Amino acid sequence: MSLFLERMVNGLADGSIYALVALALVVVFRSTGQLNFAQGEIGTTGAFVVSTLTLSGWPVWVSIVVAMVVGLLIAASVERVVIRPIEHRNPGAVIVALIGVFLGVNQLNAMIWGVDARRLPSVFPDGADDFVTVFGTPLRVARLGVIGVLVVLLVLLFLLFTRTKIGLAMRAVANNQESSNLVGIRVGGVLVLGWGLAGAIGVLAAVMLAPSAGLSTTLMLSPFLLGSVAAVLGGLDSPVGAVVGGLIIGVTEAFIVGYVDFLGADMLLPVMLVILLAVLLLRPSGLFGSERVERV
Amino acid sequence: MSGAPLLSVSGLRAGYGPIEVLHGLDFAVSEGEIVVILGANGAGKTTTMRAVSGLIARQGTIDFAGHSIGHAKPDAIVRGGISQVPQGRGTFTDLTVEDNLLAGGYTVGGSLDEDLERWYGVFPRLGERSDQKAGSLSGGEQQMLAIARAMMSRPKLLLCDEPSLGLAPLITKELFQVLGSLRDEHGMSLLIVEQNAGLSLELADRAYVLETGSIVATGTGEELLADDTVREAYLGVVS
Repeated sequence: MSLFLERMVNGLADGSIYALVALALVVVFRSTGQLNFAQGEIGTTGAFVVSTLTLSGWPVWVSIVVAMVVGLLIAASVERVVIRPIEHRNPGAVIVALIGVFLGVNQLNAMIWGVDARRLPSVFPDGADDFVTVFGTPLRVARLGVIGVLVVLLVLLFLLFTRTKIGLAMRAVANNQESSNLVGIRVGGVLVLGWGLAGAIGVLAAVMLAPSAGLSTTLMLSPFLLGSVAAVLGGLDSPVGAVVGGLIIGVTEAFIVGYVDFLGADMLLPVMLVILLAVLLLRPSGLFGSERVERV
Repeated sequence: MSGAPLLSVSGLRAGYGPIEVLHGLDFAVSEGEIVVILGANGAGKTTTMRAVSGLIARQGTIDFAGHSIGHAKPDAIVRGGISQVPQGRGTFTDLTVEDNLLAGGYTVGGSLDEDLERWYGVFPRLGERSDQKAGSLSGGEQQMLAIARAMMSRPKLLLCDEPSLGLAPLITKELFQVLGSLRDEHGMSLLIVEQNAGLSLELADRAYVLETGSIVATGTGEELLADDTVREAYLGVVS
């Protein structure tokens, strides 16, 4: 029981990272139909920014906010400078451009911060005795904290989308761009904002992951893949699906590594892809994706 | 009926890429007037609407309420007082009825409570379904929602792009009554493009006939209803 609970919490903590990555992907996909391949790398840049700032003595939470703003600005400029000019001329070329941005940001990270892994301190107490005991199971505060960050972000996003005018505009643009124009929404601005928001969320994911995974230019490669799987599993246009998908992937991962010895950590990604394929055969639009039933 | 021309368009040219669809249109809508542009498929009706709303590049003069809007962006045109009901309704199908209306009032600063109350009053069905997703409404209800949404920006001029498209005859009749009441009870001016000549010309104060991007006839609604070419082309009446 105690081991089960510990694995569950570890799975949910890792799953929270995947959920954040998936959320960022879904926010962009809903409004523009693009998969931002550079999502993970922009997050890594943000984690390096946090590293630099904390090393110069900035408080860690302030550094994270600054890094999220940096991620927002990078992602927003990618939309404005790279995606939009290309999209009108050749929609297919956007994928190539995004792979280019992925490689470019990855290389820039290496040029600025080097390729050696560095330690990023956890924002939560992470000493040997920083745990809480639940049902006799010691659970690490740092792991619970990651889950808490996801919950807080979800509440904030929910409020943004349902209680604010700009949130309504983002939902409207995701649903119908031409009609959004006709009610006076500046669609271009909303798209830039959506990319920026996704950039900031991606930074949060990287900053939450780096303390346990070690900060290097390859930090987000595997989480990005698993986050993508989570997004597809949940349904690419569903934020709820992204979160559920991320948590499912995280918990499945923890249980496979913990209980299915012969598969082990190396086989993880193939196993995840098989699960994904099975789900998509049964539900092509993902667990929560909309099949767009409409009366006309 | 007549007064200062609210919307006045001259030499309007527009198209898509190298293809010109509108070859220099002149038309006007006065304050409190209902004007219909009648045209068959491919005549350029929707292009005309999109050009006035600023959705596509256009040349020529477009003056509205004393301002030149020929180069204005869509959001500035909505703020200026023109609102469009797009062809095929264009409701936000994934959003609730109420969110559709709130999005319609996006350009309005301040509370929209009174506007919601007013349009739920005019369209009680929308009030009953305020929490439903717009995509689950029937075609007629979606058309009413599209009109109510357009009215939420408190426009002076309402553009309607083929409002009768795909609606049953009885619903279409109801729809044109609603459009008439927007003028009579809410002081609106309307520009409607249609191919349903019978109902739209009955409603119209004045009308234009649009053929392959040019205006080929104009007159009052009654005059055009009595016109042989119009009767033949749009009402299927052989004279």
